[in-house]
Amino acid sequence: MKNNNKEVWIGHNDMNNPELQEQAKQEFVNNIPVVDSMADEKVMESSANRRDFLKYLGFGLGAATVAASCEIPVKRAIPYVVKPDDIVPGVASYYASSFVRGGDFSSVLVKTREGRPIKIEGNSLSPVSHGGTSARAQASVLDLYNTNRIKGPSQAWADLDKEIMGALASANNIRLVGNTNMSPSAKKAMDEFLAAYPAAKAVTYDAVSASGILEANEASFGMATIPSYHFDKADFIISFGADFLGTWISSEEFQYGYVKNRKVDPKAENPTMSHHTQVESYMSLTGSNADNRIMVRPSEQGAAIKAFYNALKGSSMGSELNEKARTALKKLAAKVKSANGKVLVVSGSNNVAEQVVVNAINEMLGSYGNTITFDRASNQRQGIDKNMLDLIAEMKSGKVDAMIVMDANPAYDLPEAKVFAEAMAKVKTSVFMSHVPNETAELCKHIAPTPHYLEAWGDVEPKRGMFSIIQPTISPLFDTRQGEESLLVWASSANLDQSSESPYYDYVKANWEANMFPMQNNFMSFQTFWDKTLHDGVFTAKASEPAVSMVADVNAYLNKIRKPGNGQEIVLFETIAMGAGEYADNPWLQELPDPVSRTTWGNYFGIPISWEGGNSMVTYKNLNQEEYKGNADIVEVSANGVAQNITCIASFGLATDTFSAAMGAGREVVGFAGKNVGTNSMSWLTRDENGNVQYFNGLDAEPKTTGMVDTEFPCVQYHHTFGITGQEDGKEINVDEKTLMTIGEGFQGGLTDRSIIYQANLSDVNDLKKKIAEKRAMAKHLNDATLYPYEEYQEKYYSQGHHWGMAIDLNACLGCGACQVACVAENNVPVVGKEEVSRHHEMTWLRIDRYFFGDHENPNTVYQPMMCQHCDNAPCENVCPVGATNHSSEGLNQMTYNRCIGTRYCANNCPFKVRRLNWYDYTTADLFGGNEIAINGEEVPFGADNLTRMVLNPDVTVRSRGVIEKCSFCVQRIQEGKLAAKKEGRALRDGDVKPACQTACVTGAITFGDFNDENSALAKALDSELNYLVLEETNVQSSVHYSAKIINRDEAIS
Amino acid sequence: MIYKSLILRVLLLLVFLPGATLMAQEANIAEGNTLFKNNCASCHNKNMKDDLTGPALGGVEERWADYPQEDLYSWIRNSQALIATGHPRANELFNDWGKSVMNSFTQLSDDQIANILAYIDFKYNEVPAGPDGPKEDGVVSESDNSTMFTAIVIGLIALILVLMRVASKLNVMVKVESGEELAPERTLFDILTSKSMIATFVLIAVVAGGSMMADKAISLGRQQGYMPDQPIKFSHATHAGLNKVDCNYCHDGARRSKHSVIPAANTCMNCHKAIKKGSTYGTAELTKIFASVGFDPKAGTYIEDYESMDVKEIEVLFKSWIESQSEADSPEKKAAQAEEEWDAIVASLTNDRKDDFRGPIEWIRIHNLPDHVYFNHAQHVTVGKVECENCHGKIEEMEVVEQYSPLSMGWCINCHRKTEVQFDGNEYYKSYENYHNQLSNGDREKVTVEEIGGLECQKCHY
Repeated sequence: MKNNNKEVWIGHNDMNNPELQEQAKQEFVNNIPVVDSMADEKVMESSANRRDFLKYLGFGLGAATVAASCEIPVKRAIPYVVKPDDIVPGVASYYASSFVRGGDFSSVLVKTREGRPIKIEGNSLSPVSHGGTSARAQASVLDLYNTNRIKGPSQAWADLDKEIMGALASANNIRLVGNTNMSPSAKKAMDEFLAAYPAAKAVTYDAVSASGILEANEASFGMATIPSYHFDKADFIISFGADFLGTWISSEEFQYGYVKNRKVDPKAENPTMSHHTQVESYMSLTGSNADNRIMVRPSEQGAAIKAFYNALKGSSMGSELNEKARTALKKLAAKVKSANGKVLVVSGSNNVAEQVVVNAINEMLGSYGNTITFDRASNQRQGIDKNMLDLIAEMKSGKVDAMIVMDANPAYDLPEAKVFAEAMAKVKTSVFMSHVPNETAELCKHIAPTPHYLEAWGDVEPKRGMFSIIQPTISPLFDTRQGEESLLVWASSANLDQSSESPYYDYVKANWEANMFPMQNNFMSFQTFWDKTLHDGVFTAKASEPAVSMVADVNAYLNKIRKPGNGQEIVLFETIAMGAGEYADNPWLQELPDPVSRTTWGNYFGIPISWEGGNSMVTYKNLNQEEYKGNADIVEVSANGVAQNITCIASFGLATDTFSAAMGAGREVVGFAGKNVGTNSMSWLTRDENGNVQYFNGLDAEPKTTGMVDTEFPCVQYHHTFGITGQEDGKEINVDEKTLMTIGEGFQGGLTDRSIIYQANLSDVNDLKKKIAEKRAMAKHLNDATLYPYEEYQEKYYSQGHHWGMAIDLNACLGCGACQVACVAENNVPVVGKEEVSRHHEMTWLRIDRYFFGDHENPNTVYQPMMCQHCDNAPCENVCPVGATNHSSEGLNQMTYNRCIGTRYCANNCPFKVRRLNWYDYTTADLFGGNEIAINGEEVPFGADNLTRMVLNPDVTVRSRGVIEKCSFCVQRIQEGKLAAKKEGRALRDGDVKPACQTACVTGAITFGDFNDENSALAKALDSELNYLVLEETNVQSSVHYSAKIINRDEAIS
Repeated sequence: MIYKSLILRVLLLLVFLPGATLMAQEANIAEGNTLFKNNCASCHNKNMKDDLTGPALGGVEERWADYPQEDLYSWIRNSQALIATGHPRANELFNDWGKSVMNSFTQLSDDQIANILAYIDFKYNEVPAGPDGPKEDGVVSESDNSTMFTAIVIGLIALILVLMRVASKLNVMVKVESGEELAPERTLFDILTSKSMIATFVLIAVVAGGSMMADKAISLGRQQGYMPDQPIKFSHATHAGLNKVDCNYCHDGARRSKHSVIPAANTCMNCHKAIKKGSTYGTAELTKIFASVGFDPKAGTYIEDYESMDVKEIEVLFKSWIESQSEADSPEKKAAQAEEEWDAIVASLTNDRKDDFRGPIEWIRIHNLPDHVYFNHAQHVTVGKVECENCHGKIEEMEVVEQYSPLSMGWCINCHRKTEVQFDGNEYYKSYENYHNQLSNGDREKVTVEEIGGLECQKCHY
């Protein structure tokens, strides 16, 4: 046989296959994906080989050297003409303000450098947000520098005013359409407008509304208000589908209260914590934190409330509800019945009858006056859904002559968005006011752009008597005018001095002098009161509890509760990041993983996953078998007669015959980040008989497989479970280990036995303590035999000065993701886009790992914030060939970008997988355009323009392509804190240094400090038998301690 | 014997008595110095001989000798009050100085004013220190031995060649002596083209080329000695050297921020509201500041709505100012000077990105660090108590500022290795217990920046 002996072949197939033989001559078997996506076809066709490449490289390097040494680029230093007294270039100033968007509220401090806002911090003086921030508030600073912002009015302001005033004067019906408005001064301005134009009427709605609660409270107590919920005072929390830790009404306030009663005192003999039951259809953030979840189909929600009411009453629970849920609710009712005044029942339902029954339940359990009060009624949701139905009817009939849309997007976020859009054509004069364009703006004839909240004056009253100030932190970047000011101008208000430099500021101030100043008696002069309020950002007036009594006939409403439907249903939910789509053009939020599904960039169709014995998990219709490879199946889903394609995700915790999908995706008129990302699920919403929007619907037909696959499935986590259990042959087995064997290539070892997560039920805390002690003793035994002279380092370096460390309480971490966005904002962490996330190239320094444990059918969840553990025996440091990562005498694992050559040895050797490589030039810090990528089809890569770059923290290096980066413990804040102490000649105080993740967290899950400070908060947190180190047995001597997750699960209820 | 000791004592007393009074005087002068620095130095020259914003203070007491001492004291405390009383000297002074108002210092006591006056007198009569006066040795200078080194190397190579020649001639002679057959003598050309020679040359070329390339590559982007022309010929020699203005007065960020801060134009105006004509360039340079901020030097006031003012109008205003100050002998020459100066003013305040001469002055940045380097002035100036000239050289002698230090990493590191941390009096460093114990035991003389982690990457790179 004649053959070329030099060819390498394996088996006869290779020898006789010319294709393979040809391939063997190639240098790379597969195309390198980077080359693939980077180059156009010409590059691939070119005949250049490796030698040529080296020649060009050599020549290029020489030429670059010569070129670079010829001329030094001239840099300019531009001082102020007149330097403001309170600005020192290089030193940050903070201003108290408030983040407001619709009903979302956080009292915040805005960090500015050289006059530009770069970071949002919580305002700890606020009695509402308690110094916490949401992911949305953290990301709002990026919105200020959104390239998609409206740059100016549709015509010159004077012309615009003239034209609009002319149109308004002759209009018979004027409608002001907006979302919840919590500002007293804006309300006053609106009242003036309504008085000036008697033909005008305000229509308030919310995309995700609480109008069911408002109407139910009107029916129950004669007050259409949302009360104050005190989660800290409740021993038993029962939530019927209310995602109160995530998106419901006032999440930071509720998180703060909730966690107070969830932290376990490790010293107590018999520790206590509240018991939280969540009755829901899909696993929400709140449900994942619950001790017990009772699964009901979305249409069974009412039946569940009714059954629970009857169980408490002692009457028959009927048979509408599924049997499992019915038994569980019965046991729960028996458990809470006697805990009078210590129970809090909430419901996310938007149905009046269901909410009235919930009120009756609370009344029965003595909640009013204890866990629910009306003294600080909430203004955070004011929209009434059926108003919009009426409006659409009026528009269709041509009655509405003029409409002013204030910061709302009804052409996208209504179930009848299409009908609304068509009816808009009949409105003669339409004005749109917001800082970014949206689907509704497209339909409006005039645009009167408003400033971003960081450029505006204003006030907020999120809860009765609890005021908060909005003050500008930067001059308006574009030609904008505050919406309230526009209304006052059009109303020709006598109270607005248009010749003033900032008319609306004077208006707000005058309003405060007239109305808020008399509410207090600490200050005699208004100016001192105003100065103090601006400084603090908040002002709280006295409030008293109104008398409440139940007036509604509960039985009438019980009968109105809907019967559960048959067939498959879809539940639609609001996510932490996207809201109802208004946050869609924020790249930071697009890349923030959903807490439970861990997906980014879009919304996904949750399909149930289960285990039926054997060694694999089973998904609905066997879809998404290759999810872990970044391939997810696309199905066609139809509801309301609207059929759309949507990508699936296998989800735990779905009720029978239930699917889930997030709202707020599939926006069309939006900045590049949100454009056509995900599927618009708003059209699947429906309304009940009162016109209230229902966030679920029956499916028209079974989801159809399309055979299409989304190969860019951007999920950041593929291993979802940790020690979930199931029954096999009558024995309890570990399903993870059983099923892990088939994921990837064979059995990967007993992962679940490693010290990554420790969790226990409250009753077993002492056993857990013993287990942790044993495991840590074993780890110590293993670690004693070491080559590394750790003791010597300890004595020589870490015993004096500082030794930084962190403690994370897994019981306080609710998984909300605020810390992750705070980290992105603080450390200039790049955004990589959907495709890159699907290839595991996300750059987040801090990720939140979410693991399920317990019963595989209805698991519990633990959220574990995971960042660089700053190991004192760091495995990454030993393998770096260029010494780009090494250790400091303060115990920091240092990453030096300018030394890094991108070998990725460190990332491979990191047991925690927290090191990230810049595969591309995501931040456009590089000179070469070809290294930059567009993250969602934008023309100028995100972050390449000077506007977006204004958000960068000037104290943190912007990394270029090819270097590794990771959590630095916010070393810039450490250095800043130390310097402040040194300048003042005093010792560093505990709390002087707080990393961005710690300051963002409202529940205090993260404590940073100095191990050498014996009186620090860190030392107190570490003094617990529940503390452990992740992977301690590997002797990496990490500096981040975790406190084990304790749940208060009642096995009888589930 | 007794007399002897007594005489000795008297003599001793005579020796010490003036000494004791002298010491008391010094204390006054020292306090006066502090008071002067804190209250007077921003307007009055420290050398007491030259005018600044305010007049030179040397001999002030003689000038006020005609009036009671209280008059001078009350002038210092509140000059406007004294002027209001119609005091002749006070009004004369006020008018002479273009009616610029002196700040009032009502908090000063009589003793304090006396001390200030004592200091002024002392300073005025002080003999200036010669060029051999004590100098800070913070500035490191490297002596250059390379010329001598090259000479030695060339000498040695010549010696080798001579010796080789001698040896080969001797060899030939030995061979001739012993009657051996002589190989044909190699010409110089043969030697130079021999394989070993070529190999040697190539080797030398590669080594030299490599070393040069490495040197050049290392110094890429370094700008030691960088001395660009600035939009304004601002002279540090005049301000910091002659007038002894404190560095921190203008560069006020150095104490409290990472940036030392290029002063805003309004800082310049603190003094130049009064001093409208420069000692070196006359109106040519100072008018640039006025044109930048919108100050009418003739009227001595800021121009309202300067941003929206007509450019032609501004041109006329400043040209007439230049003409009025010109020392040229004919009106034509004056106009020509104004024309020329105005063109230069506009040219230097504008550049390819800025077409309006109004607004901030765009200085050329001399000290540039790469983006991945974090440097903080406050850490060095306030905490480390490093003198400005350690890194910036003798700024007070520079007419045009140049980059004095290489600003290379090796330069930073060397300083961090040598420099002692200011442990004394800073509570912050208490946390370094081991070092404190060693210092008090005498086991350690000092703690350097390196020893508290000053060489670690993330002290400067993050």
